[in-house]
Formats: sequence, structure tokens, C-alpha cells
Amino acid sequence: MNNVSLDSNVAQEQIEQPKKRWSLVRIGARFWSWLWFILGAIYFLVPLYATLRHSLRMERDVIGFKAYQRAFEDPSFWETFLLSNMLAVATIIASIILIVPTAYWIRLRLPEARRITEFITLMPFVIPAIILVFGLIRIYSAPIGIPFTGIDLLQPLTTTKLGTYALITAGYMVLAMPYMYRSVDTGMRTVDIRTLTEAAQSLGASWFTIITKVILPNIRSALLSGALLTFAIVVGEVTLASFLGVNAFGPYLFLIGQHKAYEPAALSFVTFLLTWVAMGLIQLFTGGQGQAAGAH
Amino acid sequence: MAYLSLSNISKQYGDAIVVEDFNLDMDKGEFVSFLGPSGCGKTTTLRMVAGFELPSSGKVTLGGADITYKVPNQRNVGMIFQAYALFPNMTVAQNIGFGLRIRKESESAVKERVNEMLNLINLEKHANKYPYQLSGGQQQRVALARALANRPQVLLLDEPLSALDAKIRVALRSEIRAIQKALGITAIFVTHDQEEALSISDRIVVMYDGKVEQIGTPFEIYNFPKTQFVANFVGSLNTATAEITDPEKGLLSVDGVQFISSEKMDAFKKGDKVRIAIRPERFSFASEQKKANVLDCTIENIIFLGAVVRIQILIGNTKFNMDTFNNPFLELPKIGDKTQVTCSRQAVLILGPAEA
Amino acid sequence: MAQTSVPMPVVKTPSNLKNWFGVTPFFLFAILFLALPSVYLVRGSFLNQEGQFTLQNYIDLFSTPAIVNAYKLSIQISAVTAIGGGIFGFLLAYAITVGGLPRSLRSALITFSGVASNFAGVPLAFAFIATLGRRGFLTLLLKDQFNIDLYRAGFDLYSFAGLSAIYMFFQFPLMVLIMVPALDGLKREWREAAENLGATYLQYWTRIALPVLLPSILGAMILLFGNAFGAYATAYALTGGRLPIVTIQIGAQIRGDVLHNPGLGYAMAMGMVIIMAISLAGYSWLQKVSERWLR
Repeated sequence: MNNVSLDSNVAQEQIEQPKKRWSLVRIGARFWSWLWFILGAIYFLVPLYATLRHSLRMERDVIGFKAYQRAFEDPSFWETFLLSNMLAVATIIASIILIVPTAYWIRLRLPEARRITEFITLMPFVIPAIILVFGLIRIYSAPIGIPFTGIDLLQPLTTTKLGTYALITAGYMVLAMPYMYRSVDTGMRTVDIRTLTEAAQSLGASWFTIITKVILPNIRSALLSGALLTFAIVVGEVTLASFLGVNAFGPYLFLIGQHKAYEPAALSFVTFLLTWVAMGLIQLFTGGQGQAAGAH
Repeated sequence: MAYLSLSNISKQYGDAIVVEDFNLDMDKGEFVSFLGPSGCGKTTTLRMVAGFELPSSGKVTLGGADITYKVPNQRNVGMIFQAYALFPNMTVAQNIGFGLRIRKESESAVKERVNEMLNLINLEKHANKYPYQLSGGQQQRVALARALANRPQVLLLDEPLSALDAKIRVALRSEIRAIQKALGITAIFVTHDQEEALSISDRIVVMYDGKVEQIGTPFEIYNFPKTQFVANFVGSLNTATAEITDPEKGLLSVDGVQFISSEKMDAFKKGDKVRIAIRPERFSFASEQKKANVLDCTIENIIFLGAVVRIQILIGNTKFNMDTFNNPFLELPKIGDKTQVTCSRQAVLILGPAEA
Repeated sequence: MAQTSVPMPVVKTPSNLKNWFGVTPFFLFAILFLALPSVYLVRGSFLNQEGQFTLQNYIDLFSTPAIVNAYKLSIQISAVTAIGGGIFGFLLAYAITVGGLPRSLRSALITFSGVASNFAGVPLAFAFIATLGRRGFLTLLLKDQFNIDLYRAGFDLYSFAGLSAIYMFFQFPLMVLIMVPALDGLKREWREAAENLGATYLQYWTRIALPVLLPSILGAMILLFGNAFGAYATAYALTGGRLPIVTIQIGAQIRGDVLHNPGLGYAMAMGMVIIMAISLAGYSWLQKVSERWLR
């Protein structure tokens, strides 16, 4: 413990030292934080910069958008990109139709099913895309029939284009399911959908009114963030698409990566920007909680 | 010389003055409460004593040494937090022994001290439990033991009872006071609950909006409030606007009804409007004993509060609350009855000039 | 919560059974597109070439050098990126929470983490090729400006080291996104109480904060492990199958029965599923433990 001596200078010193020490500790800690952040920023930004840079140098000695031009001129790009977008939309709609009522039902009527449902939504982690497509192909390239009777209900899904599209949409729904379910479930919990429903019921609302005026509007941001995440997953997806033979954007990107030099960089950068927009929108709607989709 | 001294302490965040010119001298072993509403600066002042905030100006002296700028982990003050802040990865015994182990005391010394503390708070049986297995009241007692194990010079308690149930709050505050007295340790207790402050403090510092309103014993604060805020905040109060009718005789008029007060009226002249205050418990029925003020009134409402019966009366055109002890054998007047109440001239407090 | 009992056929308890109809579509979907494919693979792994039940496939997993090698490689990459990604991801998360960086940087990093964790696959591989490939931006920069020839020194993007470096791009963000809430859960009062009792900042971290965070950190690393283990597209886009990790091997097996033994292929897939299941279980359990403390 400091003893305040009679000498005022020494006393002043003994006051200044701790004061300095107080602020030095704070500054020291902050230095390391900035260091990690800057290192991280370098690691993340350099590859993105390299991609952008590469994409702008198609014409020798000129910084230009030729690579982008060429990329967008390729009709295959539009074909595959459009297809992926449509599959994304189909996946989102089907997911919403499947998941929203289920989450709602479990909240209100069947809490007992919660554990098994959450278990199911964790399964896509245990069954990643490569395994999923393995199983999907093996099952659905054979006709679907009533077992033991030899009656065929459905020709193999993989033999028809429509069937294949349906199959891959289902696969995408599986991949997106954990995020969609968690998003919707959290959204419902945040607005306490049960109390809202009971209040609406006590005021005499019909089921249709409840769904359209109570449930959907209140989980709007959850739906949007789930939808945006699904969109990001589907458009960039490669594994399911290539093994199921679907002419989607992912396989297309891979293909031109084999043949072209600059267009892949351009499209990769565009993909990055698109993903950024999607995630930025999610941040906007959810206000702060990031969503990870994990490795592909 | 005072044991703990806060001199001209001020704290400013940018333009906002959070604590202004706080002065307090405490004796060793004294229990002082900082009392005030949220945002009045009481917690900030406490944290400046603990070292978690630095004052913008002013000095903190403890046992003769200037600790204003000492880092928190060298101040030897013990702090109790509202949210208990027990370390979740340690048992009760490990929590209590934490400070001692940091100081590198021998294991046997630590064990002995920990047992001593466990006895003090009566939780010997829970020594190996984790915080999440304890109730709120138990956790706070462990927090107390943890702080005391270190033999601090001052104990700082930041609203320690606010997160607890009412019954536990009452029990625990007496326990804290008893332990503090037994150990003779100096303590500062921050609270917004005036009943808490009144019941266990040696002195109370009433704060509002960063400033000290009054420092005094509970008796002084309650019976002789110096400012309008203190009178309003501590205890319940009847207030009314009165006009001075005769400053020399101490007469005032509340909407035509005459009151007599023992307060000095030198600062006022006839016709001035002032704010007066009368504590509800200072009224009694005139049938029992007549005091200086005898007032006609009508019974408006009778509210049974348990030990106290609150009677809402109308004196002239002004409503007053009257508190009387519950007595099962006393016949209370009924609603609508007209009767007389009385209060002494000392009961009529003048708070200050009435705002226009 | 009421306990639903399975109603006896005779007794009329319509409400409980009726409630289960509401979740039927979801369960049906899960059965058709999750359970069934998995069951098919499980079943297939227990069949030999003649279609009879056998455990031989699982035994062969350990005796086929190609498969053992693949698992070894996958486990190595997953472990390296889980630990490396875990440590640096933690440091990043620390920097933007307790570390005191401005609030704007925190939102930027969280948003970016969402983006980066989604950027995996083909574009990510291309981005790194453009950076560290033979004619990549960084490679040339180091050669021209600092006279450092990466490739002559033995570095090769299309290798274990290169793939690990690439995996970090989604491992760091995943760690950040998991650890930020956990770090937010550290109560300020714990640190103040520790300081009050005489501890230095370092002592607070080693005796309280890190032990409290340990379940979250370990759980997150296990999740990172599983994340890397199951990755396919990035590796394929980078090396086209040259790096024989488990997912690539499975991909080859799907395309054309390279093992000449379908059952063995299914067993290989199941091996992966088991590893993923164990890591998910580990993560879930550690999450529960950490929730108890960070309540």
C-alpha cells in the first residue's frame, strides 16, 4: 500500500504511476485485438482482391470488364443461372410450405414432437451432400413401387427431367432444412406465436385469418432470412447438381473453370457479391445475428 | 481522521455529469447506504471506490492512503454485485477461496479460512455445490463470504438484494448487517429501496441526479428531510400547497383550512405560497388526544394494509393520508363519517416555496 | 408438458392422435428424402456381392489401403483446420467482443462471416487459385517483390497444405459465429469480481473465462471438424480428385464403382456418417454443458 509521504513530488509520482498503469493495461489489450482483426482481414480480403484483379485483366495491359462481358454473353451461363434460381425459388417455397405449419403445429399442439423434429433437422449435418446424393441416386434411379407387389407407381425419378428436378429440389430442401427450421422456430418463439394465436382466437378470428394476419406477418423476417440463406446455398451448390446431372450454375462454374482463364474469376467474384447482398439483407432483417451455412 | 474519505468526487461522461461534487467521510466500522432512484449516480460512485471507474476529479482515501487511481485488483476492497457474479466453473468452496489462492496463501490457510466463512454464512453443507445448484439468496451469501474471505478494508455492496424475493430480501439484509457488525468492517450499501436503507444503515446518503441531497442517520433523514426530494423519496408523505397567513405565529392556510407549524418562517412573508408536508403517521384521531392542530375532516376511504390501516381523509378540499396502527378492538369510523383529526405543529414540515 | 400416451385401440382419445397428423407431411418428407436414402446405404453396407448379410465390408474398411489412406487424410485435414481454425477464429471472436474493437467492426465481421462461410465450393477454390496458384497474385508478388519463390520452396496449392489453407476460409467464420454469442455470455461482473479479489487480467482468463468457455470452444472445434470432414465441392474444384480424401473417394465410387464392391462403397459412406454422428453428439453434449454455466 502506498504511504502518502510529506514530499509532495513523490506523492504526485505515486499518484501518476497507478494512473498511467490503469490506462496502459487497457491499451495493451486493445493492441492484440487489432492485430487479430487485421490479420484476419488480410487473410479474407487478399483472395477476394486477387479474384477481382484477375477478372479485370482479360485484355492484355488493360483493366477492363471484358471477362465479365464474355461471361455474361455465354448462353450457357444464363441457362444454368436461371435454372439454379428457379430451383432456389422452388426450394424456398416448398420449404416454407413444409416447415412453417410444422413448426407452428409443434409449438401449439404437439410439444412432444419437438425433440424428434429438432433431431431430424440436425440430420443433414450427419448426412452431408455427398452422402445424401449417394443414397438419393441409389433409391430413386429405381422405380418406386408398392413393396412386394411388383406394381410400379412411378418411373425412376432420375429418368425424367421433371423427376430429376423434383429430386434435386427435395435434396436442396434437406440441405436447407436446418437453417429454415431454426430460423422459423426462433422467429415464432420471439413473437410468442402461441399467445398471439390465443389472443386472435379469443377475438374470434378464423384459421385463415390467423395464418395470414397473425402468423405469416410476424415471422416475415425469419422467413426472409431463411429464404436468403437457402438461395445462397442452392445457387452455389455443386455436389447434388453434378451427380444428379442437373444443368445448374455450380457445375457450369466448375466446367468453365477447366476451360477458361478469366471468366471463372469474373463469375466467382459475381457470386461473392451476390452472397454478400444476400447476407447483408439477412443482417438487415434480423439485426445482428449472422448465419453460417458451412462447407460444401 | 476518517477511515474512508471521498472528497469532491465528480464523474463526467462527455457532456453528461453523472456524479457531482460527492463528499463523504466514513469512520471505520460504519455502515453507510447510498440511496436514490435509478440513474442518480450511486452505483457509479461505488464503482469509483472499487476502482472500476476513475473519477473525473476528486480523491478517494482509504486508511490514510490515496487510492484514487489504484488498479482495482490492488485496492483491498470487497465488492458484492447485484447479479452475484459467482464463478460458474468453481464450487462454493473454490469461489470463496479464490482471492486467497490468488494471494498464494498456503492450502491449509485457505481451507481454514474457507471453512470459517462457510460457518459464517451457514452453508457448510453446500461447500461442493456449483452456483447453478444454489438459490439466489444462497448465491449472494456465498458472494458475501467470498468478498469477506479476503479480509478487505471496505465492503461494497451494489444493490445486492434487488434480484431476490421479498421475504429473502428482508432476511438477508439483517444477516448482512449482523455479519458486518460482528466483523466491524466498514461498508457501503447501494440501494433504491428506502426501507432497506432505513432499516440497516448507520447513515444514509440520499442522492438524486448525481448530487447528494442529504447525509444523515435514518432518523434524521426520515423525520427532518432537508429537501423536497428527500421528503418525497423516503417514506410516504402528504404534500399540499399552503399560503402563509401569519409568519410570526406560524400560521398557514391550506385552501382555507388553518394549520399551525413550528417551522421557522423567517424566509417568508404573509401571502407567500409554500409546499408543506405531513407524514401520514403523524395524524391521529382528536378523540384520543388533542394536539396543536385540530382539523375537521370527512372519511373518504379505509385501506387495510396489515399492520397499518391507511385512512384517506378530506380536510377542507385537500386529500390526506392518515396511517394508524391496526387495532382489532378499535372501532374505526366508517366511510362518509365526519370526524376530527389532530397533529402536532412539529408535524407540519415546510419543504420550500411552491412552484408557480 | 402433458405426456402423450399411445392410445389403446378401444379407448377413444382422438385429440392426441389427431395432433400427430399435423406433423405428418414433415415426417413423410424426412422419411422419403433423408431416412430412406440413409437406410439404403446402411443396408447396402451389410451386403456382400451376392446380396447376403455380412460384416466383411466394415472389416475391409480397415484393410483396404486406399480407404485407410483416405480416412487418414480426411481426419488430418479436418483436425488441422478444426484446431487452427478454432484458435484463430476464437481470437477473432475475442477481438470483436471482449477485445474492445468498435461496434461497426463487429457487425462487419459477423456479416462477412455469414458470407465467407457460404462462399465455399467452386468459387472459393478459384479465388485461392487466383491468389496462390502457380501464377497467382500473391505467388507472383512474393517472387517479384521479395524474391520468395513459393513453389520452388515446396509449397503447392494443390496439396494438403493448400486445401487446409482454403478450408480456413469457412472454418474461421464458423468459429467466429459460434464463439461470439459464447463470449457475449461472459458476464462483465465475473471479471470485475476477479479483479476485485486481486486477480490480474491474465489470471481472470486462465482461471475463469477460459474454463467457462472451454466446452463451447471444444464443441465448436468438433463442429469445425465435422464441417471439414464432410466438404466435397471445394476439394474437388481444387484438385479434381487428386487429393484422395474420403468425400472424393465416395464421389468416385458413386460415379463408377472404383472399388469394384458396392458394399464396400456403402461401408465407406457409413464410416463417414458415423464420424459425423460422433462429432455432432460431442458438439451437442458440450453445448449443453456450456449452457449450464453461461446461463
